[in-house]
Amino acid sequence: MASRALLQCVRSLARPSLRLSSFTLAVRPAVAPAAVIHRPLSFAVDSRRTRRIGQSPIPVVGVLCRQYGDLPPLTLDTIKDRVMYVLKLYDKINPDKLGVSSHFMKDLGLDSLDQVEIIMAMEDEFGFEIPDAEAEKLMTPEEIVQYIADKKDVYE
Amino acid sequence: MTVSRLPHAALTLKQFLQRQKILGIYRNMLRTIRQVPAEADRKYLRDWARDEFKRNKNATNPDVIRMMVTQANNHLEELQKSLALAKS
Repeated sequence: MASRALLQCVRSLARPSLRLSSFTLAVRPAVAPAAVIHRPLSFAVDSRRTRRIGQSPIPVVGVLCRQYGDLPPLTLDTIKDRVMYVLKLYDKINPDKLGVSSHFMKDLGLDSLDQVEIIMAMEDEFGFEIPDAEAEKLMTPEEIVQYIADKKDVYE
Repeated sequence: MTVSRLPHAALTLKQFLQRQKILGIYRNMLRTIRQVPAEADRKYLRDWARDEFKRNKNATNPDVIRMMVTQANNHLEELQKSLALAKS
């Protein structure tokens, strides 16, 4: 009887201690970071709260982000600059010879394949498609500028 | 004595139509190549198409030209097929 009581006592002592030791072992690493984390967490919550109180979110968006939907307005001059820029980058055109009214084939010595490529480059630059029938009529930079201005509803 | 008003190097109607057709194929080819996702591949294909068209631009034999048009159409079709496969 006494031995059984003692055994139980020992068992009950041993088990919690075992459990405790394993518990503390398992918990200690978990607790320590939690205690560490707790502060920054509350700090974050605090700062978030103050931020929300301090300013409304809309002006922040307006100030920090560029609004990409909005392009600079097209004018005849900007279209002309962009057309000339694309033409200067095209490797077969000599930039010195290039003028606003120079004919691609007669003045610049290009062939019809080059002209197709130029029109494709213009499509890339201005982001719209030029139908074939119109494309083959565009032979000088100023015709291209005029065509794009017509399509984009740009007038002087 | 009728003197033709056309310039010496003027094309016949057949040649003119053929030329339009070939330019159309070239345009289609470039449009298709534009959809290729990888930048390097796109450049390679564009150079390939360009070289191929430029290399044969002085061909005069109508049969040869017709054969090359067929070949170009086949290439174009193949390109479109592989693009469609890559997308799905």
